[in-house]
Amino acid sequence: MATTYTRNNAWNKGGNLTNPDLLWYAKGVGKMMSRGLNDPASWWFYAAIHGEYVTPANIQPAFPGWKFIKAPPTVPTSPLPVSGNQNLYWNQCQHQSWFFLPWHRGYLMALEAQLRKDIVGLGGPATWALPYWNYFGGTNGSQYQMPPAFAAKKLPDNNPNPLFVNMRYGPDGNGNIYLPTPAGEAAHPGDPNFSRGQVNANYMSNDLYTGHDQVTKLPGFGGPETLFHHGGGTSGNWEGNPHNLVHVYVGYYGAVTAPLYGLMSDPGTAGLDPIFYLHHSNIDRMWAVWNANGNANPTKSAWLTGPTTRKFVMPGTNGQPWYYTPDQMKDLAKLNYSYQELKSPPAPKAAGLPKRLALLGAKDAAAEAKKAPATPAKPKVTELLGASARPLKISGRVSKAAVKLDAGVRQKTTRSLAMAAKTAAPDNVYIKVENVRGTFDATVLSVYLDLPEGAKPGENRQYLAGNIALFGLRRASMKDGQHAGEGLTFILDATPVIDQLHLKNEFDVESLQVSVIPADPLPENADITVGRISIYREGF
Amino acid sequence: MIYNAEDWARLRNAVFGVSLLAWVVILLEPRASPCCAVNAAGVSWTVLLAAHPPASLAGNWALMLIAMMAPMLVAPIYHIRISSFARRRARSTMLFVAGYGIVWMVAGIVIVVAELIAVWRMPGSYLPATIVGLTAVVWQASPFKQRCLNRCHSHRPLAAFGFAADLDVFRFGLEQGLWCTASCWAAMFFPMLLPEGHFTAMAAVAILMFCERLDPPREPRWRWRGFGTAARSLSLRLRAPQPDPAPLTALS
Repeated sequence: MATTYTRNNAWNKGGNLTNPDLLWYAKGVGKMMSRGLNDPASWWFYAAIHGEYVTPANIQPAFPGWKFIKAPPTVPTSPLPVSGNQNLYWNQCQHQSWFFLPWHRGYLMALEAQLRKDIVGLGGPATWALPYWNYFGGTNGSQYQMPPAFAAKKLPDNNPNPLFVNMRYGPDGNGNIYLPTPAGEAAHPGDPNFSRGQVNANYMSNDLYTGHDQVTKLPGFGGPETLFHHGGGTSGNWEGNPHNLVHVYVGYYGAVTAPLYGLMSDPGTAGLDPIFYLHHSNIDRMWAVWNANGNANPTKSAWLTGPTTRKFVMPGTNGQPWYYTPDQMKDLAKLNYSYQELKSPPAPKAAGLPKRLALLGAKDAAAEAKKAPATPAKPKVTELLGASARPLKISGRVSKAAVKLDAGVRQKTTRSLAMAAKTAAPDNVYIKVENVRGTFDATVLSVYLDLPEGAKPGENRQYLAGNIALFGLRRASMKDGQHAGEGLTFILDATPVIDQLHLKNEFDVESLQVSVIPADPLPENADITVGRISIYREGF
Repeated sequence: MIYNAEDWARLRNAVFGVSLLAWVVILLEPRASPCCAVNAAGVSWTVLLAAHPPASLAGNWALMLIAMMAPMLVAPIYHIRISSFARRRARSTMLFVAGYGIVWMVAGIVIVVAELIAVWRMPGSYLPATIVGLTAVVWQASPFKQRCLNRCHSHRPLAAFGFAADLDVFRFGLEQGLWCTASCWAAMFFPMLLPEGHFTAMAAVAILMFCERLDPPREPRWRWRGFGTAARSLSLRLRAPQPDPAPLTALS
């Protein structure tokens, strides 16, 4: 069997440049950055594999066009690779798709191999492997802070540090890069008049890769079934949080930087920031943990073989294209690397069916469910319950929409909640935020249901249905882009909020008020529109 | 709520079934085709029209649309079904089809009249088909065609209640019809003008239109388009299973 490399925690040795994994990463990145845009072994080429704004089809008149990126790094915009290489490699990243996890696994493997080759060439260790940033790790979750090596402007030899990026602003817009995980939030409480969506690992409790049941909301942990899918549509649960939120918060914007935002916030610039790969290393690691916890990957050949319309391919270190399939990526044990830690973060406190039944007053059913937990049931019916009437422009501190409910469908849900004691199968209720279009990726929006007038969202999370990060918004909104300008669609589990409304007799109403609240004041010209907000019931 | 492979397959099979039925009717009843296939040599315009009353031409054109266009409507109908209340799905689908159909029927008037004139003036001639065929080829490669194809993939959010919902799906049908017509007018016109080989040409055009809808939206520019995705997909499916290339070797 080939050598197994170990990807280590980036916070080893304090997460600074005394950590040899990070020092050599910096040197390897520097070496890759020294190559031209058209060189498949260059940093820039690899970033464009994920997504780019440098070819004629994607060029922009302003940022995020690559020409307008503020150094460092100094991003080249020419010479472009020959069209054959562009068509073969570039703009491949799989998002809002069940291919999200396996594609990125192969992407990281290829980049890591190139970096290792360069690192060895520079006199570094042949055992080098890409570190990971475990933002949930550390004592009491203290590693929500970006490892300091990425904030240092110079290497120990006084040369510029390739890991440092100018356009990386963080949640406070001041270059202090941390994540509002549960521990990060406690250390950096935000303005309670806004709603900073929490980065968490709650979806590790999902039990389905694709699909939904009583404990896994649509579209599943790994994402919806698609063909080759470069973006647009609905993110998988793990892609939604923590992946998308981390991207947005690391890039982000500030009052003085807007309308510019950080490179990490947009898929067309994210691959340029070296922190991207440590973030994805962690996403990949936790996929492996999810599998190790007994959760299976898809077995359909449509997933295993990958898309038939365009194969996944990376530049091999031998100069030849390396094709790969999800089947080859699905089992970490069969690959050439592992992780320093392969354990779950603290188990998320998912309510679970017994707790929910108890809350709904079905104490006997709750006790039964707790005694003999059954396989989570699959829904028998999914249907529209209500919808907003017109598009909603997102601006300012809060944007509101009335979501009218259909009385007949609502009664089905009310009945199922009232009958929970008998059936032990109350409805689940979801909010679908559809066709979110625009050009400002760098925000996280929190969606509240029936938030009382004047209530501070930060102090009233019981009304929170979920958080959505708009990573990928611009590209998904391009009318001639791969998703025909449909934008992004999000599915949020509103079940706990609906349960509370039902218990307070506040669900049998004509409409519910949905409030969409950004994490921070949006720039004046931030362009974000929601096509429709709808509510669905799932009956079991 | 969102794409579900099983629901999609059920809808696709139903729609393909309708299309197949229409094809069978056309093949079993050759006169059930709007192409005149008539010997119009020496026939007066009045006699020609009497032999092909408008109602009959319209019915035949509609049958051809069902056969050729139905497979392209799976995606928009799916969008309507997941966006609508369960009790409104059939109604919304019918309104969408009505909007879509109206556009194509209006286009059909123009195409069929033009065809009648060509057949009447140049009976048995391949010249009209050649001119339109060449136009279709140029149009197929043009950036304008790509823009129209891109818009065919676009699905607007739909109102859910009452008259607004009816209006939205009808408008959706009109929009899809407009972009579809703009994309495919030349290809649909071409088979109509062939003195012979009409059904073969119809089938070829139907396959082209289906295959080009498999392509994702792309940058509008001059290029040959239509079979890229279908050809790649077929090629990969037909290839013999490749031995596991053991990713480690390629990357070390």
